Amino acid sequence: MYTLYFKIAVRYLFKNKLYSFINILGLAIGVTSFILIMVYVNYERSFDRFRGSENVYRVYMDYLEGDQYVPGDAQSYNAIGPAFANEFPEVLDYVRFYRFGETVLQHNDKFFEVNNGNLADHSYFKVFDKRLIKGDINTALLQPNSIVLTETLAQKIFGDQDPIGKTITMFYTKPLVTTVTGVMKDIAENTHFKIKYLISFDTMKSWEGFPSQPRLNWNLNEYFTYLHIDPKTDIAVLQDKIINSNFESNSEERHNIEPIEDIHLYSNKPYEAEANGSIMRVKFLTAIAFIIIILSWLNYINLSTTKSMERSKEIGIRKVSGAQKRQLILQSLLESFILNLLAIGIAILIAVLIIPLYNSLTGHVLELDSAIVFRILPILGILLLGILIVGLYPAIILSNYSPSKALKGKIRASANGLNVRKGLIILQFLATIVLLVGTLVVNKQIRFMQDQPIGSDLNNIIAISGTLLENKTDSLLVDDMLTLQQEVNKLPFVKSATIAQTYPGGGFEGLSSFMGITRPDGVEEQHNVYYNYDVQPNFFEVMGIEFRAGNTFTSTSKSNDNKNIIVNENFIKKIEAKGAQEAIGKKVKFWDNEWTIIGVIKNYHHFGVKMPTVPIIFINGFDISNLLIKLDANSTSISGYNDIIADLKRTSKKTFSNSIFKTTFIDKEFQAQYQEDKKFGDVFNIFTLLAIIIAGLGLFGLTSYTCIQRRKEIGIRKVNGASVFKILKLLNIDFIKWIGLAFLLAIPIAWYSMNTWLENFAVRTTIGVWTYISAGFIALLITLLTVSWQSFKAATDNPVKALKDD
Amino acid sequence: MLLQLKNVSKWVQSGGQKISLLKDINFWVNEGDFISIMGPSGSGKSTLLNVIGMLDTFNEGEYTFLDQSVHKLREKHRSNLYKQYMGFVFQSYHLIDELTVKENLEMPLLYKKYNSSERKALVADILDQFNIVGKKDLFPTQLSGGQQQLVGIARALIASPKLILADEPTGNLNSKQGEEIMETFKELNKQGVTIIQVTHSEKNAQYGSRVINLLDGSIV
Repeated sequence: MYTLYFKIAVRYLFKNKLYSFINILGLAIGVTSFILIMVYVNYERSFDRFRGSENVYRVYMDYLEGDQYVPGDAQSYNAIGPAFANEFPEVLDYVRFYRFGETVLQHNDKFFEVNNGNLADHSYFKVFDKRLIKGDINTALLQPNSIVLTETLAQKIFGDQDPIGKTITMFYTKPLVTTVTGVMKDIAENTHFKIKYLISFDTMKSWEGFPSQPRLNWNLNEYFTYLHIDPKTDIAVLQDKIINSNFESNSEERHNIEPIEDIHLYSNKPYEAEANGSIMRVKFLTAIAFIIIILSWLNYINLSTTKSMERSKEIGIRKVSGAQKRQLILQSLLESFILNLLAIGIAILIAVLIIPLYNSLTGHVLELDSAIVFRILPILGILLLGILIVGLYPAIILSNYSPSKALKGKIRASANGLNVRKGLIILQFLATIVLLVGTLVVNKQIRFMQDQPIGSDLNNIIAISGTLLENKTDSLLVDDMLTLQQEVNKLPFVKSATIAQTYPGGGFEGLSSFMGITRPDGVEEQHNVYYNYDVQPNFFEVMGIEFRAGNTFTSTSKSNDNKNIIVNENFIKKIEAKGAQEAIGKKVKFWDNEWTIIGVIKNYHHFGVKMPTVPIIFINGFDISNLLIKLDANSTSISGYNDIIADLKRTSKKTFSNSIFKTTFIDKEFQAQYQEDKKFGDVFNIFTLLAIIIAGLGLFGLTSYTCIQRRKEIGIRKVNGASVFKILKLLNIDFIKWIGLAFLLAIPIAWYSMNTWLENFAVRTTIGVWTYISAGFIALLITLLTVSWQSFKAATDNPVKALKDD
Repeated sequence: MLLQLKNVSKWVQSGGQKISLLKDINFWVNEGDFISIMGPSGSGKSTLLNVIGMLDTFNEGEYTFLDQSVHKLREKHRSNLYKQYMGFVFQSYHLIDELTVKENLEMPLLYKKYNSSERKALVADILDQFNIVGKKDLFPTQLSGGQQQLVGIARALIASPKLILADEPTGNLNSKQGEEIMETFKELNKQGVTIIQVTHSEKNAQYGSRVINLLDGSIV
């Protein structure tokens, strides 16, 4: 019996090619989208999962801002790990990392630029559940100057040689000679804490060039600390104890913990190890995945319900031949099942094939392996089951008809069935319009952010940052850098050059921060975090930053005893000065010094426009991290950039013969901050387009069917003198009404969800009336195009043919 | 007696008006009868046939089939009854387009708990009996109307029903094909199958042993 059902189903699919094609294609697109999004969501949710990860927590700092604590720093003091382990029995172990920025590793005469190096406690292997491929895990990170490499890095440096026992010199500040004691597997991409190599933590005690304070202290929060907590612990209680602990008698800040598994999606604190993901994006995409798959299944139900009316004759014959209701329903289920299975199979195939394309389009690094498919299949299965149950509806209706009626093909959609179908179409339109509004808003917001005045002109500025491998004192290096600056200034394509610690868009890296300031009015406040960096007097001119009041530094002397500062407007607000002009000449105290404000600049967005502006202090100091070069606008063209960069590198080598330099176009780097949002926008665009295609397919199928059903009616109307336009109107008016209703329902949903999304941004675009109207209009246009193609055919058909049929 | 209708009436409500389809029908059929129901369009022939075939209900009266009171039965029992004892032949053949001749013939057996080898044997027999072995793998649309109707009759017969109900079985056929179909019916009747047919044609009615004339829902 089942073979027969199966045969009928398959032959039916082949006989109704257009219907089957639309149905399967729609479903396949829906399921493919669902798989792709779920693979991405799955990836985003897979961060920092390892054996025991549920017991690993990161220590971070809360700062008191105003009257409440806000997450202030992802890093903490080096004394915290030992203190917590000592104080709280629940803390079984701890790992501290001191993270380097860009470093260079040297072996023999070869140099390798490597990021993501760290000093780490030897407990790392235990807490993070890591094994060594080579070396002794118990001692690998115990002795000072031990280095553990990841596999690929070891391979790159040593080739096929055994690295154990070999020496590597690490350049960060002062050269550090290390001995390889271990090789571990590469760290997977799905962690917030990427690691290329680890150097034993105790190295800092003897390392002359260690950039921080080696002894245990409660001053410099420059360490990532992770705690391994007893699984039996009530985390809320421990968290409470930690929050209320007072190791450093400073009520302006406190410590807090968060699960390592949550960091990637939920944490967005200053000084993170890397820019994290966003739970909001994941939620939005999950919602889109479900909308699309539901959309495609609504489509399916709609089409198959409509189509099943056509099969009333077959059902009648079966009933007359003795089929029970149960058997009829079973057959209909089997057919749905076959069709859906086919679609899911095709979808998995498509997903596997297009994932590289999808990755290149969105910048994701996703892989579709069978494990993921098996994790997604149950979700699909549950959804499918739901859909099949809903799909029973037409089967039940049909099987309820008396066979004599069914045989005459007299089953017309009942008012009820019609309402259900209308409801489904309206729901489809609704989802489509919500997605359209979403796309428009996301794109508008991204454009808005990009067009936002930064407060600084970053165009045509190249930042040169070097890993200085010269064996010289700091003060000699500064002299060399000043020489290089002069040399660079002589190059024909250079307009001006300045040396600075960092620059707008440089992120938290390279930016210093502190708390505790005495305001001009004598009030000592500890509430706010202030950021500062070293610049030369011409920094503001090179960077196109405008002054509100006062002017730039006058001293170019290399000494740091000049106690003038330049601040931004935000700073003025924080210290409650009356205005920019009034602040000039006022004195503030911090770092046990008195500083005079000599200039106030307009606010600019240091961390990109997603983040609010922060109080910034500029000091006329000599941090030589970056040489910023403004190119002459006339001498730069796309083709010329390579020559310019080569020229700059050559010039740099003249002064710093051993060092390695990196060049960055800082406008590009600034734009990179929207990269995640742009990716999100791209993904949103792709899936909205797919959703529209699905809805379009459904509409197409439905109209072609309605036109066939109403063929006789159209014929009669035409014979009685109706014009083509009148017929078109007759066929299209319903759809327009439905879109209107869907539009009204979609507005509040779109309004709510997109405002929620926009709340993520410090500066946000507005969702104007036109956004909604455009979305509605696009939906209407697409619908009319889809529907009219069919109805025009029906309307221009020869009526005699239509009438003869009956 | 195979079946008996006593004072059967059927009507529908339309626009507040009661429209009679069958009025006070009294009618019986013995095993081995070949009955022709005749009458002009709209006289209620098909309705009567559907009532007899239990494909349609009626509003008033009694219907006894093999000593069972059909009007008192539940729908499920009713369908079991016609499943077991009746075969239907239609004017427009009503074959399933997606199935081959063989599969169309096999279909009713699927609903009647025959096992696979029994089904094969029965299908082979009936193909043989109707001389359509060569057509068994064709689809209905590949056959002429007469051939399709032959398959339709074969399908009605396959589970050896006591009664064949035929609603204008030759209505869509040309005269030669029609004659052949009627000859088939006659032959079946000779073998003991009870047949009730609805027909417009006097000539076809002659094949039967008894004619019932309907006018406006009443027997005249």
